[in-house]
Amino acid sequence: MTVNLITLVAFVGGFLGLIALAVALVRRGELHLGPGQRPDDRIVQQPDDAESVDTYLDRMAVEMRLPAGDTADIRAELLDHLADSIAALESEGFDHQAAVREALGRLGPPVELGRQLRAAHQTTGRLFAGAGGGVLAAGGGFFLGYIGAAAAGFVVILVIALAGSLLSRLGVPVPNLSTDPNGSAIGNGLYLAFVLAGAAAVSMRFAVRVSAGLGRRSPRGAAVFWAVAGIVVFGTWVIFGIRGQQSWVGAAVAPAVPVAAALGALYRIDRPMPHVGRWALVVAVAAIVILELGIGLVSSVAITSSGATVEPVAVSQPDFHFDHAAPIAPAEWLPAGATLADDYVESPDGAGQASSYFLAVHPDKASPDPIPLTQILASWHDLRFEAWHAYPNWAPDSPIGVDTSYPSPFVIEPAIIQGDRLDADFHFQRLRDGRDWWFVVTGVGPDGHRYRFSNGHKGWTPFNGSVWDWITAPQ
Amino acid sequence: MTQGKIRAQLLKGTTTLLVLTVLREGELYGYEIAQRIRERSGGAFVPSEGALYPALHALESAGALQASWRDGDRGPRRRYYKITSSGLGLLEQHAQEWAAFSQGMGLAVEGAKR
Repeated sequence: MTVNLITLVAFVGGFLGLIALAVALVRRGELHLGPGQRPDDRIVQQPDDAESVDTYLDRMAVEMRLPAGDTADIRAELLDHLADSIAALESEGFDHQAAVREALGRLGPPVELGRQLRAAHQTTGRLFAGAGGGVLAAGGGFFLGYIGAAAAGFVVILVIALAGSLLSRLGVPVPNLSTDPNGSAIGNGLYLAFVLAGAAAVSMRFAVRVSAGLGRRSPRGAAVFWAVAGIVVFGTWVIFGIRGQQSWVGAAVAPAVPVAAALGALYRIDRPMPHVGRWALVVAVAAIVILELGIGLVSSVAITSSGATVEPVAVSQPDFHFDHAAPIAPAEWLPAGATLADDYVESPDGAGQASSYFLAVHPDKASPDPIPLTQILASWHDLRFEAWHAYPNWAPDSPIGVDTSYPSPFVIEPAIIQGDRLDADFHFQRLRDGRDWWFVVTGVGPDGHRYRFSNGHKGWTPFNGSVWDWITAPQ
Repeated sequence: MTQGKIRAQLLKGTTTLLVLTVLREGELYGYEIAQRIRERSGGAFVPSEGALYPALHALESAGALQASWRDGDRGPRRRYYKITSSGLGLLEQHAQEWAAFSQGMGLAVEGAKR
């Protein structure tokens, strides 16, 4: 036990250390761009009258609206030009101030120069290259961001699990973060939203940098474009596209994904993209492998440390509370030998289909023909399937059977006679509150009261749909 | 209209031809290109410096020129331009167009004088 914990700490610590190393390598690569490789770091000879020259170049740069690297390049080139031009003019007899004015005048109005330089850089071909490159970078960034966020999410889960384990050992009540009181999965939705938010942010950041760089577009303009695109694409995807188990917590955090995409696009857009060397990638992959081993170890620790074995829960003869739905139909109102069997079929689209059918009734063994179902139920009317909430079967100390806290069934479907069967279709997977259910077939008997024909069928159907389906689900 | 303004108008559209022509002789940076054009034309052509750099960058975007930062012979790092094979083709095209244009313009002006 102690050895296992030490090993676990070593694995987690090793993972965190390797991640820190990968980040340091990325930072080192970024810093190693160094003087002479980034245009803005280049040492440029400044004309003496730097203020007026800077003012001119600043006004030109504002009009150019190009990425920082291109702007720095052009500034450096024009500074070179102005230095040569001013020196030549001074050698022709101009005093310094006049030489600066003349040199700047020969370049023309800064706004016009900036406009022409922008037109020279922002060609249609580059626009398409920027758009295409941005899409590819968004895809690559999403992949990298997904891996990184998934790894970070695992660490968070590990920390929470360890903290929860320690707190529970100390007797502190720990809330259930994996499922809500209805059994809906919270943890899955939270984890997915966390991972997708990270992936969306990295994706949009990559897209902005590549798009602005290749397309020679203003980083701010590219960032606004990708922020809007990120909100639309990721917002549509997480709200309408991703289907699965949902919960109110998951639905509440889903909008974090498009928000993260927008923030990733707009965050520090003037900063150069970090250079990611192969060693940073190797270390990051090693960190994830270490983490996977750690996850496996946590499982074994959880088993060995608890020392618990799974014991069957002793259940006395349960009361399934069927009478809460309706009393059983008196036998004398059905033909002798008539029995009802229930079945539930999961259709391919996830919709539940319930069938209940009478087995063949042969009142006279000599007669080969069964009594038709319509004849059996001739004195009955308003036949229907009722889906009642059931106590969850995942809670070991939960009561069993129809949940008596609900006064009525949550879905009622008319029973349709199909040959010798009664059929109805249920769509539990679109019901927020329909996870554990128990259906029974009922009908109004000759005395005008409703009775059930059998003890029905129990099932478990978690909600399966998008966040939008969850929000708009009938209840 | 002053002589300078007339020349400036006539020069419009010829900057590309002039730039490619002087760069055919070797790599040059922006200020050198302007000086070389002035020298080659005997001072007749003084390209607008404000039009020179947009033209250089547009030609670079089109693949006619290749630019690189290098240490100058005596001084700071400079951005040198080099004509590409695509630029040579463009130069040939512009030169033919200019020849046809100037010949036609000459005939028209001479005809008007008679």
